[in-house]
Amino acid sequence: MTLGLLNLEACFEGVVPSIIATADGNGVPNISYLSHVAMVDGDHVALSNQFFAKTSANIRLNPQAALVAVNARNGAQFRLDLAFAYSLDDGPLFEQLSRHLDATSAQVGMAGIMRLRGLDVFRVLRIESIRSTIEPERNPSPARDRLVAAARVIEMIAAESDAAGIVDATLGGIRSWLGFEHGLFLELYEERRQLVTIGSLGYAPSGIGSDVELGQCVIGAAAESGSIVKVSDMSRVRRLNAAVRDSSSDENRTRSIVLPGMPDAMSQIAVPLIVAGVVRGALFFESRARLAFTKADEAALSIIARQAALALAFSERNSEEAEVGHRAVQLSPATDRTIHVAHHRFDDSIFIDGNYVIKGVAGRLLAFMLDQHLTSGRNEFTNREIRLDSGLRLPDFKDNLETRLLLLRRRLEEKRLPIRLIRLGRGRIGFEVEGRVRLSREGA
Amino acid sequence: MIHLVLSGWQWPGTVANLKTNGRVAITFSRPADYVSYQIKGEATLRAAQAEEIERSSRYLVDMVSTLMRLGVAAEIIAPWLSNRDALLVSIAVAEIFLQTPGALAGTRLWSAAT
Repeated sequence: MTLGLLNLEACFEGVVPSIIATADGNGVPNISYLSHVAMVDGDHVALSNQFFAKTSANIRLNPQAALVAVNARNGAQFRLDLAFAYSLDDGPLFEQLSRHLDATSAQVGMAGIMRLRGLDVFRVLRIESIRSTIEPERNPSPARDRLVAAARVIEMIAAESDAAGIVDATLGGIRSWLGFEHGLFLELYEERRQLVTIGSLGYAPSGIGSDVELGQCVIGAAAESGSIVKVSDMSRVRRLNAAVRDSSSDENRTRSIVLPGMPDAMSQIAVPLIVAGVVRGALFFESRARLAFTKADEAALSIIARQAALALAFSERNSEEAEVGHRAVQLSPATDRTIHVAHHRFDDSIFIDGNYVIKGVAGRLLAFMLDQHLTSGRNEFTNREIRLDSGLRLPDFKDNLETRLLLLRRRLEEKRLPIRLIRLGRGRIGFEVEGRVRLSREGA
Repeated sequence: MIHLVLSGWQWPGTVANLKTNGRVAITFSRPADYVSYQIKGEATLRAAQAEEIERSSRYLVDMVSTLMRLGVAAEIIAPWLSNRDALLVSIAVAEIFLQTPGALAGTRLWSAAT
C-alpha cells in the first residue's frame, strides 16, 4: 500500500513530538523536536517551530528536510521527505494552531507565553514506513460509524421540543452512539462572559450551574474562538485544577458551583455551539484514554453541536407563546414547615434554608417568582410575562430564557429543596412550594 | 569522542547520509523534563563489536523502563528501539548546543574551535 498523508492522521495529534532534520548551506545537519505538526491537506504539513530558529534559517538556505513522525496509537514511525513551500503568520490554519497552543499553555500556567510566531508549510515528497523489529499493533479503527452515530443523535434531538429534552438528548445520544461517558452542556452568558453548565453527564455532583470564564481552559477557548479545542494527552499538560474540592460544603461559602471534572482525564475536547455565526455555548467531553477523540469524532460532535444549538434556539422562539390546554400545577401537600429564603441583592444569590442555590439572573428569576407567590399566591408563570416584566432588570436575554429556567429547575431538583419548578407545557412554568416561605432580602 | 550504536537495519537512510558526508547532529533528550542537548561533529562508522552491542541492549532495556515509568505503554515504545545490524558511530564533537524547549534553545554551550 502506498502511504499517503491521510494514513498518518494519528501522528499529528501532538502527543509524541515529531523530529525534523535540516541542513545548512554547508551540509551541517540540525535536529529539532517539534511540539506541533499539523496536516494542511493531503500533500502538505505545517510545522510550528516555537523556539528553534536554526531550522527556519536552514530551510531558507536548503529547502529540503526530513521529518520523523510517530503514530501515537501504536508507536509506528514514519520518515517524510519534505520540501519547504511557504510560511504563514495569519489565516485560518494559523489561527487554529494558535488557539490549540494557547489552550494547552493556559493549562500549564503559561498563558500568553507560548505565542505562535509563525508556521512553516512543507510539501510532502515521500513517506516511508520505518522498519521495526516488532510489528506495531494494528489497532483496528473502532467499528463505530460516526456518520450513522451523528444521524442517530440528531434524530433524538429533533424529537424534542423543550430545552431540557434537547440538552438531555444531546448528552444521552452522544453517550449511546459515540460512547463518551463524561460530558457537559454549557451555555454562554454574554453579560457575565461566562459559560454555565446546564446539562451534565457522568459526574456526581452534576455541576449544574457551575461556570467557566470565556477563554479559560479548553471549554472557554472553544467558545471564545468558535472552533474545536482538543487535548489528547493530558500527561504532557500539568493540570492546575487537580485538587478536587468538596463542592457541596464549599459552595455555601463561595457562592459558586465547582465545575465537575475527572482528576485523571487524559483527553479533553470542547466543541462550540454556533447558530447563525454566533457562539451560544459549548459541548465538553473528557476521557481517561489517551487520544480518545479522533478527527471523525470531531466531525460528528461538530455536526451534533450545531444541530443542538439550532434546536435550542428554535425551542426558545417557540416558548414565547404559552401553550394552551396545558396541565395544571398539582397543589402541594399542605404543610406548616417554614422555608427560609435569603435573597442577597448585591449578587442576586439565593439561599434556601441556608443552602446556596444560584446567583445572577437565575437568582433574580427565582426571587421574582417567590415574590409573586407570596403577594398573590401565584403558582404558575409564562415565559412571556417574565420576559415583559421590566422590574426584573433582565439582560437582553430574549434568546435564552428557557435555558436559564432549565438551569434553575435542575439546580433546585439536585439540591432536593422544598421549592421546585415544573414545566407545564411550552412556555409555562409551575411553581411548587412545600411549606411557608419567609423571604428575607439583604443588601440594597 | 562520543560513540553511539545505530541500527543499520532500521535507519539505512541515515547510514547512507553519514557515509556520504560524515556530518552529524545528535540530540539527547531526557524524557521526564525535555532537558535536551544537541551535539554536532564529524562521524566515522564501523560494525559494532559484541561488547558494544551488549551495552546498547542494556540501554534499550533502561529506556523502556524509563519511558514506561512516564506512562508510555510498552507496545508503543517497542517499535522505536532496535540494535539490529548494529553499527558504531564515533563522533568527533565540534559543538554543543542547549536544546531544551524555551527561550535559551539553540544557545551554543561549547565549541572545539574556541
